[in-house]
Amino acid sequence: ELTLKSSDTHPDGYPTVEAVKHMGKLLKERTNDRICVEVFHSAQLGQEKDTIEQTKFGVIDLNRVSMGPFNNLVEETKVVSLPYVFKGVDHMHRVMDGPIGDDILKAFEPHGYVGLAFYDGGSRSFYNKVKPIKSIEDLKGMKVRVMQSDIFVDMMTALGANATPMPYGEVYSAIQTGVIDGAENNWPSFESSGHYEVAGYYTLDEHLIVPEVLVMSKASWDKLSAEDQAAVRQAAKDSVSVMREMWVAREKASEEKVRAAGVEVITEIDKAPFMAAMDSVYEKHVTSDKLKDLVARIRSTD
Amino acid sequence: MKSVAWALRHVARLALWLAAAGLIMMTVFITAQVVARYIFNDSLVWSEPAAVILMGWFIFLGAAVGIREGYHLSFDVMLYFLPQSAKLWLYSVSDLVVTGFGVGMVWFGSQLALSAWDVKLPSLGISGAFDFLPIVGGGVLMVLFSMERLARRAAGMPTARFGETDPLED
Amino acid sequence: MEVWVLFGTFVFLLLIGTPVAFCLGVASFATVLYLGLPPVVVFQQLNSGVSVFALMAIPFFIFAGELMVRGDIARRLVALAGAMVGHMRGGLGQVNITASVLFGGISGSAAADATAIGGLMIPQMKEKGYSVEYGVNVTVVSSIIALMLPPSHNMIIYSISAGGRLSIADLFTAGIIPGLLLAVSLMITAWFVAKKAGYPTETFPGWAMLGAIFFNAIPGILLIVIIFGGVRSGIFTASESSCIAAVYALLVTTLAYRTMNWTSFVEATKAAVRTTAMVLLVIGCAASFGWLLAFLRIPAELVELMKAVSDNPIIILLMINLVLLMLGTFMDMSPLIVITTPIFLPVATAFGVDPVHFGVILVLNLGIGLCTPPVGTVLFVGCAVGRISVWDAIRTIWPFYGAAVFTLLLVTYIPSLSLWLPSLFH
Ligand code: NA
Ligand code: NA
Repeated sequence: ELTLKSSDTHPDGYPTVEAVKHMGKLLKERTNDRICVEVFHSAQLGQEKDTIEQTKFGVIDLNRVSMGPFNNLVEETKVVSLPYVFKGVDHMHRVMDGPIGDDILKAFEPHGYVGLAFYDGGSRSFYNKVKPIKSIEDLKGMKVRVMQSDIFVDMMTALGANATPMPYGEVYSAIQTGVIDGAENNWPSFESSGHYEVAGYYTLDEHLIVPEVLVMSKASWDKLSAEDQAAVRQAAKDSVSVMREMWVAREKASEEKVRAAGVEVITEIDKAPFMAAMDSVYEKHVTSDKLKDLVARIRSTD
Repeated sequence: MKSVAWALRHVARLALWLAAAGLIMMTVFITAQVVARYIFNDSLVWSEPAAVILMGWFIFLGAAVGIREGYHLSFDVMLYFLPQSAKLWLYSVSDLVVTGFGVGMVWFGSQLALSAWDVKLPSLGISGAFDFLPIVGGGVLMVLFSMERLARRAAGMPTARFGETDPLED
Repeated sequence: MEVWVLFGTFVFLLLIGTPVAFCLGVASFATVLYLGLPPVVVFQQLNSGVSVFALMAIPFFIFAGELMVRGDIARRLVALAGAMVGHMRGGLGQVNITASVLFGGISGSAAADATAIGGLMIPQMKEKGYSVEYGVNVTVVSSIIALMLPPSHNMIIYSISAGGRLSIADLFTAGIIPGLLLAVSLMITAWFVAKKAGYPTETFPGWAMLGAIFFNAIPGILLIVIIFGGVRSGIFTASESSCIAAVYALLVTTLAYRTMNWTSFVEATKAAVRTTAMVLLVIGCAASFGWLLAFLRIPAELVELMKAVSDNPIIILLMINLVLLMLGTFMDMSPLIVITTPIFLPVATAFGVDPVHFGVILVLNLGIGLCTPPVGTVLFVGCAVGRISVWDAIRTIWPFYGAAVFTLLLVTYIPSLSLWLPSLFH
């Protein structure tokens, strides 16, 4: 009866797209065909900034988005976008699956969204065409493309690199021709964008491990009965494990392809100086008591 | 009506000047970015978002002036076969429809601006409302200029259309 | 029913002469109201449709074109083309086409090309005894060359519509051979048409004169080198190159040629704003329209429909080309790129067509649409410059349409025409 429209900027077959489809399948079974989900993948309904607004206005019901566009809207999401805040992917899972994750999901509600679940966004690392980055000194003066976000720009500046915002579509030729020296991303994007063809050095510093989030429009949510709300929330939670399995497989496949292409992957790297350089970024962006408390809680999670 | 037309001509002139200034500023910003990056190895993070907002302003201001000056592309082939009086009625329907769309731009553009009020734009540090103000400003002018067209037609004064070379002589 | 509201409103408004941008915008507005969705989404898409960094190439290239026309760069290029090919059969027709190749290499706009070259050539051709129709026909169809040769902002629009993941530099490079091929087939056509009509040839001015005219045109030709060289050597990105083109045109016309005064500069800027505002408003409104198409799942259904008809890529490409040519006859280029890329690119790639190759097909195909009535911006411009009616122009334009469609078929079925050159840079 009721079809929930869901948006995703990733293409069909991508782990997040498949996860939301899986959620729809579960929901359909559990509500006896009353509620199903229709996924609009490949940014058909717009870029994330647009679909976030559309979700708020109730034009679409579900939305899988990255945290970045929410940073200046829902303060709590900033904390997971901080560089080196997590010790690794497993640590991120433990934090987001626990009470801290629940608190962040709840923080969406006053802004017109219902936070349902966190998906993986992988871990972002630096790649470039000039030289292997083995220490923080190697990054000095390098022109690195980052997303248009204050935290990311400040992080690059703190590392001594030259943060260069640029539309994603221009990055390939920009690296190829030398407008910029490199960029940063996770394994699957490094591979699918073809950037590995032009950037031969990938340094696994994992500076950002930012989960992605599935939110529902508060307007659509309020139309559901309490029972259906519970069913939606549960189906979303249940889709997370499917997503994570697919993500690991995808990451592995991308890694194999990139390594086979002869990209030099730098794994042995002392992250301590990188983390130490982040003090100024934390000082500037972790300003409220709420954020300070969240950072402290993440740091004290095993 | 003549004095209203005179006043609106000056509004249109001012809007076109502002739009032209916007284009020139945009040229300066992007050139500055290229020079800073290539010569001084120092990227300007604000140049791209600032240029995009400027572009919004000059598009919507320019588009509004286009209604007054009649330079929007339209498809007049069917109208060739109609008598002049029928044509004038249909032009008025068009102008009414454009007025309605302009009202939508003002109303819903304001709604978007309000909802983005608390959002801070990255790299610029200004309110997200600035993203949507061009729509609101352009919408106000569109409503004004398309209502002027209706009034001019009612008063028997000429209105400009795409492909006509003679400009408004008021 | 929603589909009928969307297309019905659009066609009705189009027929009563509402500006195309508003036909798209109001049809979307009406459909959203009919569906009971918050109308705010229409205006959000209108705004985000034009708030795209790479679209900046449109105002910049148009601005550069205006400066070149008003600052004498275009006239010197036409003079050079005249000295080079004027002595061939069809004389000024060949000059017109060659000038479009030279000018096309520095401008991305077919309308600018038709205005600049047509404005200079058509009066000359009339004077020398050519029929005005011939002049308009050659001007109009050869201006498609400007879309194919780099820089072309339509390639940038395509890259954005394809999700922003295609290399603009590759798309630029891919258009070169098809653009030159189009020039050659138009020149051959012009030769035959001129022969039949008995048009005169110009006298070859001699190598010394040719050298002097070439010297005069060097600053204009250098722009091609600067744009292409700058993008390929990493000084600036493809979309930034548009801004450099405008700055360079301004520098040449004020410092080298000294042909640009304050009044012409202000007029050029205002003209650029007018054209840009018109084009980008259509793109913004097309974004709302495209959003509704996606929301109503029309692209997905069309893909299914086409897959049901055939699974042969040759047939599929032919079908896509026919649909695009048809759409191109009644809509303008940029909105069609924005609307049709998300619909047809997935179909084409599903049948193994390279996205860069598809971009070249799309731009060439829709470029032909710019020259066909009822809605053909370039045809309108050409007729306005030559002061003849659209009907007079299209009665004799058929050989040139034929040459363009023939080139389109070659480009469609021989992928290496598009893909070989970019592959050299990988
Ligand atoms: Na060009
Ligand atoms: Na057309």
